[in-house]
Amino acid sequence: MKTVSSDIRRIFRASLILLVLCGVSLSAKTIEILNVSYDPTREFYVQFNEAFSTYWKEKTGDDVVVKQSHGGSGKQARAILDGLQADVATLGLGYDINVLVEKGRLLPEDWQQRLPNNSSPYTSAIVLLVRKGNPKGIHEFEDLARPGVSVITPNPKTSGGARWNFLAAWGYALKKWNGDKAKARAFVAAIYKNTPVLDTGARGATTTFVERGIGDVFISWENEALLVLNGKDKAEFSLVVPSTTILAEPPVAWLDRNVRRHGTEAVSRGYLEFLYTEKGQEIAARNYYRPRNAKIAGQFSSQFAPTQLFTVQEVFGAWNDIQKTYFAEGGIFDEIQRDNR
Amino acid sequence: MSIPIRYSAGLFASTIVSLAVLAADDTEAQLRQLREQLSALDQKIRTLERQREVDQEIAVDKAKAQPLATIDDKGFTIRSADTNFTMRIHGVFQGDGRFYFDHAAGAANDTFLARRVRPIFDGTVYRLFDYRLMLDFGSGLNSAAANVGFVQDAYVNMNIDPAFQIRVGKDKVPLSLERLQSDVDLGLPERGFPSVIAPNRDTGIQFRGEPWGGKFEYQLGVFNGLSDGGSGDFETTDSGKDVVARVFFQPFRDQRAKWLKGIGLGVGGSYGDQRGAVRSYVSTGQQTIFSYLNGNGSTPLTPQVTAGGEHWRVEPQAWYYWGSLGILGEYIVSDQKLQRTAGTSVLQTRADNRGWQIQGSWFFTGEENTFRTVNPLRPFTLGDGGWGALQAVARINQLTLDNQLFPVFANPDTSVSKASEWSVGINWYLNRLVRVSADYSQTHYEGGAKNPATAKDEKVLISRVQLSF
Repeated sequence: MKTVSSDIRRIFRASLILLVLCGVSLSAKTIEILNVSYDPTREFYVQFNEAFSTYWKEKTGDDVVVKQSHGGSGKQARAILDGLQADVATLGLGYDINVLVEKGRLLPEDWQQRLPNNSSPYTSAIVLLVRKGNPKGIHEFEDLARPGVSVITPNPKTSGGARWNFLAAWGYALKKWNGDKAKARAFVAAIYKNTPVLDTGARGATTTFVERGIGDVFISWENEALLVLNGKDKAEFSLVVPSTTILAEPPVAWLDRNVRRHGTEAVSRGYLEFLYTEKGQEIAARNYYRPRNAKIAGQFSSQFAPTQLFTVQEVFGAWNDIQKTYFAEGGIFDEIQRDNR
Repeated sequence: MSIPIRYSAGLFASTIVSLAVLAADDTEAQLRQLREQLSALDQKIRTLERQREVDQEIAVDKAKAQPLATIDDKGFTIRSADTNFTMRIHGVFQGDGRFYFDHAAGAANDTFLARRVRPIFDGTVYRLFDYRLMLDFGSGLNSAAANVGFVQDAYVNMNIDPAFQIRVGKDKVPLSLERLQSDVDLGLPERGFPSVIAPNRDTGIQFRGEPWGGKFEYQLGVFNGLSDGGSGDFETTDSGKDVVARVFFQPFRDQRAKWLKGIGLGVGGSYGDQRGAVRSYVSTGQQTIFSYLNGNGSTPLTPQVTAGGEHWRVEPQAWYYWGSLGILGEYIVSDQKLQRTAGTSVLQTRADNRGWQIQGSWFFTGEENTFRTVNPLRPFTLGDGGWGALQAVARINQLTLDNQLFPVFANPDTSVSKASEWSVGINWYLNRLVRVSADYSQTHYEGGAKNPATAKDEKVLISRVQLSF
């Protein structure tokens, strides 16, 4: 019988050398990640991605290309569930990321604890954009329920921004009528009766109001309204900040299952952590998002009108409960729409 | 008179002015009303137009939310709107012609055959669980107690994460590189000698994954255990199990430098305890070239060789793909404890059999070479200038049997101690699904002079028409 141990030793030695060579070679490279986001963040992330690529190149030597996808927040969450290979999700509201946990098991349940501020690196408020000179005399959410006022807001079934709008109006009503839910429901129903068209996303609703000239008032993300007011059509519109409105806290998360598959865990995490740096916060503020960082917030304080802000947790509780009560099939929004027909 | 006239004139003038003002007020009011009506109508038209756009957008989204059935080059696919449930029905057909030249009397006959006829059902349930059932009705396949030959693959794969999956059922044993290559993607119609030694399909459980974006691939499994080249789905001779492991690296996979990207290196191995029947080895032309003594073992004249315990294999393996060039190489050692029973005489030994191959291929038509299915740049179309892809393939490979086997465990007159083969072939990919191949293979044998299959060098032309979808 032939002695084989020396041959085997040789084979293992050669294999070991090859494997070590492989390990050594995991070096500088070009990485691509996909950020799936909601509608109004397009301009912000174009600037942010550029800054992040520079930062990451300096930090690691790797080139990183960040691709963007935008749409209604709920639609984007569904697209991810349907296979869109997002590395990070920067969506309009926490519920849409909860869906990725529950239905897609793409990230852990405690995702909000992985980054500061419940994984919401920047905020916004829900405000009102009216036509030049405010011809309908709109100053508060209350004015939106008046007969003859045409209100533009997207569909809460598909748009995260629209859900914030709905909750802003509902929260305003609860505060005005001391928590009277029936009055709040009637008030919000009156607003939706004044809504001629429900777009599927916030950017579509902006198009409806700004470009198509439909409606008297547009319930909008503050950043989206400020973007319009600082754009080419700024002379055509005025901003109305209600005395009380909701603090919108769009969340961000890396999708563990996808980043592991793509080998992009470190860069995806670094990308979201960069949002919290002064540079990231400054870019957010320049794009009219309210920064979390106190120093940057101070620098940009004149940009944001003072108002009394309430959070969704303070008034409504957890997102899953909110979804079930207001926006799920047969929820309050469906009832309102049915009654308004 | 002058005063009344003056008054009258004043009254007249004031009346005219009043009437004019009244008329102007009336016109202004009408105009305002008209403007308001126009504005309202304009709003209604704009709203209707916008509503139509939104309705179209919603209709598109709704269509996406419907279950989908498609038929295309990947087969017939049904999937739920959320893609959590899918089923794909597809298949493989390989029609071969084998023509032997200059062979001894009693060797294999020239023949046409259906080498593989495989309907395949695979898909996903509840997003997490993948499944695959591949049957085979190819020529000459049969079933035994230890293996239902008609069932090639039958497994459930729990797709927890690309980096970690659990697969249970009958599947290819993750050891040999060419064995793991899909039958439809082989460079030459028949695999090389390393696959004769490596196990084929076995039943068990394996943990597998591709972390770091596929740069690293691993499999670790426990299987029933097989003799060399065999398939099985039921343990009939022992309770021993094989532990099989394989790692494979593509460290430069996402590098820009194309000449580096296609380097793949790995090693596979198995260890276990096996008893019972041992298999014969076959040539490229599928003729039996080596058999252990296979009498009934009851008398000194009818010795029987069986697996007698420890069995391990190890196989370093590599590939390299750069543009149209592809190279694949592997070297396998199979070391098995054997037992020879002849009446009351029982002998034991260890067989150390080896095989290796180097295979190279090149696309004349510019396609990117790959371990997997090739997409022709210009699929064949009648009268439209597309001729498909043309690939040349060459291979050298060798099988070496342990000298210690002869003559006590194997008959040197009927079994070879070494087989050295070279092959050249040409593959014409008419499109992604249809391929026509021709391969000439010549194998030189040492030993086996009284076996018609090995008395002379095997010279065989294998042609194949393949449809896989």
